Formats: sequence, C-alpha cells, structure tokens
Amino acid sequence: MKKIFIAVLSFFMLLSNVSNAAIDEIKATDFVKKVVKEGIEEIIDSNVSQKEKVDRFRTLFNKDLDLDFIGKFVLGRYWRTSTPEQRDAFIAAYRELNVKTWSGRFDDFTGKDFVFHGTTPSNNADQLFVNSSVDMGQGQQPAKVIWRVKQNDDSFKVVDIIIENVSLAITARNEYAAFIKKAPGGVDDLIKNLQAKTKDN
Amino acid sequence: MKSFKVLSIMLIPMALQACAHESASVVNAGSSHAVVEENYDKFEGFNRFSFEVNNQLDNYVLRPLAKGYRAVTTQYIRDRVNLALANLKEPMSSVNNILQGEFASGLKNIGRFAINSTLGLAGMYDVAGGGFGLEPHPSNFDMTLANWCVKDGPFIVLPIIGPTTPRAILGDAFDGLGNPVVVATYNDANTRDKILYPYFALSAVAARETNMEMLDDVKKSSVDFYATVRSAFLQNRKQINKCGVNTETESQTLDYDFDFDMDEED
Repeated sequence: MKKIFIAVLSFFMLLSNVSNAAIDEIKATDFVKKVVKEGIEEIIDSNVSQKEKVDRFRTLFNKDLDLDFIGKFVLGRYWRTSTPEQRDAFIAAYRELNVKTWSGRFDDFTGKDFVFHGTTPSNNADQLFVNSSVDMGQGQQPAKVIWRVKQNDDSFKVVDIIIENVSLAITARNEYAAFIKKAPGGVDDLIKNLQAKTKDN
Repeated sequence: MKSFKVLSIMLIPMALQACAHESASVVNAGSSHAVVEENYDKFEGFNRFSFEVNNQLDNYVLRPLAKGYRAVTTQYIRDRVNLALANLKEPMSSVNNILQGEFASGLKNIGRFAINSTLGLAGMYDVAGGGFGLEPHPSNFDMTLANWCVKDGPFIVLPIIGPTTPRAILGDAFDGLGNPVVVATYNDANTRDKILYPYFALSAVAARETNMEMLDDVKKSSVDFYATVRSAFLQNRKQINKCGVNTETESQTLDYDFDFDMDEED
C-alpha cells in the first residue's frame, strides 16, 4: 500500500515538475532577455557617469540575482558551520567584489548582442538553463553563455552564469574552498580577503 | 581553442583557458564531478610550483611584451594578426574534423584555408566567413582523441606550457606536425630561428594581449589564483571529454546539482 502511495505521489510530482518546466521556459527566457536588455541598454550603453553606471549595476545585481542562494552554494559546506554574521558578511563581500569586477568590464560588452537558443532542463525542478550566445566578431565562433535561472513562485532569479563551459558559481566555490582549507582563520580570512580585494585600487 | 573567443568580452575564468593554450597559461583536464574536481589534482604540490613559475614569467616577461605589442599596434592590426594566426590552424582543424567523421566541417576548414590564405591575404581577412558563408569550425587532435574515448590523464601544470593533461600534450604535438609554419621550417635550422620561434612567440604574445583585461582581472580578484584556473580548466575539460560525441556539433548537456550539503572531499 505504501509503495503504491509513493508511486502515485511521485507520478504527480513528476507531472507537476513537467508542467512547471513548461511554464518556466518562456517566462525564464523572457526574464533573462530583460536582464540583458537592462544591463546593456540602461547601463553599459547609456550616457551617464561611470559611478552612476556602477550604482545602477549594483541595483540590477541585487534585484535579479539570488545572492543568498548563490552565496550558500559558493560557500558549500562552510556555509553550515558559519554564523549568521559570517554568512551576511560573506554575501556582502562577495556581492561587492562581483559588482567591482563586472563593472570594470562594461566596455567589453558595449554593442554586444545576445542571441537566445531555447532552454535546457536542470536536475532541479525549479531551475533551468537559458542558452544564449554572443557574437565575437569576424573569424570567431560566437561565445556560449548559459544562464541558470531559478523560479521562486512568480519571480525569477539568475543563480549562475556559465561562460564557455565555465560556471562562475562552481569556480568561486572551488576557489574559496581551496582558500579556506589553507587559511588559519577560515571563513573570516576569506571575508577579509574579499573585502581587501574590493578596496584595492 | 574554442574558448579563445569569449575572452575578449567577458569577465572571468575562461580567459585562462584560452590564453593558456597559446600563451603558457592554461589549457585542459579530466573530472567527473564539477564541484569536487580538486581531488583530481594528484600533483598539486608540483603543479602549484610550476604555476607560480609561470605566473612570474607572465608578470615579468609575457605580460610586459603583450603591453608593448598593444602600445605599438592598433586594434585593426591586431585583428589581422589574430586572424592570420588562426588561419594557420585550419589544415589541422580539417584533419581532425575528418578524423571525427565531421566531413562537412572538414571541407569547410579546407575551403576557409584556401580562400583566406589567398583572397584573405595570408589569412588576415576572413573572406571565407564573410562572402562565402564558410563559418569557422575549429577542432584539434585532443578533441579527436576525446571523441575516440581516449582517457585524459591527470591534471598537470608544466613550466612554460601551463595547465594541461597528457592527452592535451599529445594533441598539441600532433597538431603541431601539421602546422604550415612548422612544416615549412622543418628541415632548416636557419628558418626555424627566423620564422618558427618568432611565430611561437608572437602566438603567445597575441593571445596574452587578447586576454589582457580578463586575465588581469582574474589574477586581481582571486583569493587563490591557482584554484581558480584549475577549476575553470577542469570544467572546460569536462565538456571536451565526451566520449563518442563531437562537442562542437552536439548540443551539450551541462548540469550540476545545487547541492548544498555535498562535501568537497579532502
């Protein structure tokens, strides 16, 4: 009896996942298109000061990325052993370092066009990959950029960006794990280091 | 290398890969779990040492040369150089596409090489891609071996060469044999000195210049530069290592769990 119950339950869960995924695809793609459009038109190509661009970018970053989710993944097992204060400090430091790094690269995105190529399902029912590519100019293949998008009820958030096979979240996770393993002060050392990198020059 | 392209435009780690190949910084290795790939670094002590040697070579030799190259050329000239260098890879791309059973791509490589070497003025202009609609289809022997299910071997970082694997080294060696510059200078020590070595040097400097901002950014923002490069390298490698699959033409499935409780193994 229990087996039947589980079978029926998993059947319905499967169904709901499938139907969710079907809803996701179009909305999730539209969401990424909107993020790209805002990023390029209203920030990178807009005619405002660099400081205003960075501020707008920070707003976009906070609004459209699920930083708590990403931070949790990036810190991996060290998330569980961290205090709430450490977690908040880590996410803040990680955000600021990313805002700084990305906004230094605005020029590289000027006039770039993203072309979208549908979606790919993920192992997580509430997440999928939105596939896109960017023209790299004469004699070059377009660059492949994949957005991992998570649906929270009606809202969507970017949780990872995979550029030419390299996931930013996995790279950060591996990098930080390697650092923490060797740092005497653990997560606190990492936070201090990220903060220092954000302040440099 | 396919990863070559993104570089100039985006932010983080792949720069390393691309550059690696050409410029003594990085190129490719094997793993099964993206998130726990550190375990595959059997020679971490040696690798970190070589990596640091390369990092200093970059700081004191390659990067200054790339800066100088940028100072004395315009973007237009550098584009011509990059296209001409890429054109020299078309013959072996053709061989490797054919070895992988991708005959149409292999023929396009030949067409591109013939047209761009002549009408494209020694490859400086991509006439084939523009007027003739022959898009680039780069390939290499490392990808062929992957396609034939040859195992990658361990991740290693070598002085000068950078991050690599035994299979990638084999692939580079084989592709080198079919490089027109290598072939043309093969029997003559004099032309080797005057053409082949400068060609290698130019390739490295041009690649470093192309990836200047990205590499500099990653160096600056990493808390463990070695770990960042290794992660990016291994992730890219994982996509190349598709036994029996042509990774250029097949759509790639890229998945990993956002599994927060999973431990990196020590």
